[in-house]
Amino acid sequence: MANCRLPAGVQDVLPRECALLTDLKLKLERKFSASGYLPVLPAGLEYYETLAGSENAVSEEHMFKMTDTDGKLLVLRPDTTLSIARIAATKLGLDRARLSYFADKFDLQSGGGLTSREIFQAGIECLGEEGTYSDAQCIAFAIECLKEAGLRDFIIDIGHVGYFKGLLEEIGLTAAEAEGVRTCINRKDTMNAERLLKKAGVTGDARNNILALPALFGGKEVFPAAEALTHNSCARKAVDDLKNIDRLLTEMGYEGYISYDLGMIKPLSYYSGILFSGLVKDLGAPVLSGGRYDNLADAFGKHMPAVGFAMGLKRILVALERQGALPEEKKPLVIVAEEGQEARAYREFIARTERGEKVRLSALTGKEGAKQEEDAGYEVLPVGGNT
Amino acid sequence: MITFALSKGRLATESAKLLARCGVDTAVLYEETRKLVLTSADGNFRFFLVKPSDVPVYVEAGVADLGVVGKDTLIEEDRDIYEMLDLKIGECSLCLAGYPERKDVLTSPALRVATKYVNTAKRLFSERGEDVEIIPLHGSIELAPVTDLSDVIFDVVQTGSTLKANGLVVLEEVFTGITARLVANKVSLKTKSAEILPLIAKVKEEVA
Repeated sequence: MANCRLPAGVQDVLPRECALLTDLKLKLERKFSASGYLPVLPAGLEYYETLAGSENAVSEEHMFKMTDTDGKLLVLRPDTTLSIARIAATKLGLDRARLSYFADKFDLQSGGGLTSREIFQAGIECLGEEGTYSDAQCIAFAIECLKEAGLRDFIIDIGHVGYFKGLLEEIGLTAAEAEGVRTCINRKDTMNAERLLKKAGVTGDARNNILALPALFGGKEVFPAAEALTHNSCARKAVDDLKNIDRLLTEMGYEGYISYDLGMIKPLSYYSGILFSGLVKDLGAPVLSGGRYDNLADAFGKHMPAVGFAMGLKRILVALERQGALPEEKKPLVIVAEEGQEARAYREFIARTERGEKVRLSALTGKEGAKQEEDAGYEVLPVGGNT
Repeated sequence: MITFALSKGRLATESAKLLARCGVDTAVLYEETRKLVLTSADGNFRFFLVKPSDVPVYVEAGVADLGVVGKDTLIEEDRDIYEMLDLKIGECSLCLAGYPERKDVLTSPALRVATKYVNTAKRLFSERGEDVEIIPLHGSIELAPVTDLSDVIFDVVQTGSTLKANGLVVLEEVFTGITARLVANKVSLKTKSAEILPLIAKVKEEVA
């Protein structure tokens, strides 16, 4: 049966899970729409050039590629934020746009487990907005969305690339060296970071400051610790930004939902400001990921500073299941027509659907039909001359 | 409750001792049992003893909050986890080893490298721009050059006695300072910080 297998890293979503996924999507759609986000559905295929041209945001070993009829290289959408930035910069003619989407993204590399090659995401992007008020609004909305999804015991962990960039300014590494150090710091691997810095000839305070980064996480006590390390203006501005965001989120009532990690420096090169991840105790991987990307749309001909986030809906479902928060399956009532009463059963079915009841009209009829439906575990409503 | 994934074999005893010194009740690790999940008597800790290469897998998935595993495995597996501390136990090097003189084999011009660190070996030789044939093995790597299955091996060397007994020598120490590391799941570190951070601090003190 080789013709019925699926490639590695992709899955069919079967009815029970699909119903839950649809419910989750509906909840979030209502939330997005009620909060003023306009829906868009970006195209699934993009030119390789489009993506390669924008600060190589996605590395090429992660892209599914194919060749178009004219020989041009196409990719299956590897990152939705890029597509949204392209749409906002080139098609909307607006200076500011708050957009939302539900879309698959594709990643050629599959880690197995919680990572997949086809990832269904819901996300929002706030384009043409600058400043910490916009950042705080975006994080607050992320919290509201996870609440809306039904999750509990989650936190939003917030970092800022400006702090790391500021520390790097002080030591002048090559791009390749900086990327090596970034990878180590993002893993809290101080030993290898130390080795790389030594190789690059970085010593003294500059070295110690970088090596202190992995430990700079926790509550707002990280701010004074971070300030004590450096006078670099870019790094200090990053801490000021975070302090402002902290004040705003606290005043909005989200204090219990946030933590900070200045050592979180994600691989996507387009991030320019805050970064954040949604973490749930019951799941080993983030359910939400976002950040500020002020220069991404520049590659598409328009400067639109922006912030946004995406949620992995499958991961949210896994977390909900582990939290025991998935609703019980509700089977529909099944209407079975008695012999010769098909039209009447159909009218009953229509009347009930119009009332919003969950009901199915069986293709089987009569006593035998009713028995088969009952045997399949459904509650049966016979409709006929005597009912 | 903190869940640990610990490496079986080389590091098992030493890592258990280290954790015990840090106040972890590890008595359950010494019991004769076929149970796969071991819970400490006080109910504060849970342990899985798994193959070293599986430790990063359990920790990345968050099934285990913390793990103890060799740096060699971390280099090979390249998983998305936090590497918190150097435990400074089980020190060894990742080396290229073989006979002191390489025999030229006309029919296989590419160097044949036997290893269980397939990803690391591929990366190493591709960085050097060298064409090699990687021969993946799972154990007794030293047998490969002895039987002419390979020209060299790429493996961890602790004392070098197995090499010596078979007439092999270390040709190059590629990665030195390979020791056991304490690794953490990226989410657990943040969401269970009240339990995990004090323990990490204690381990840090103990190995300092």
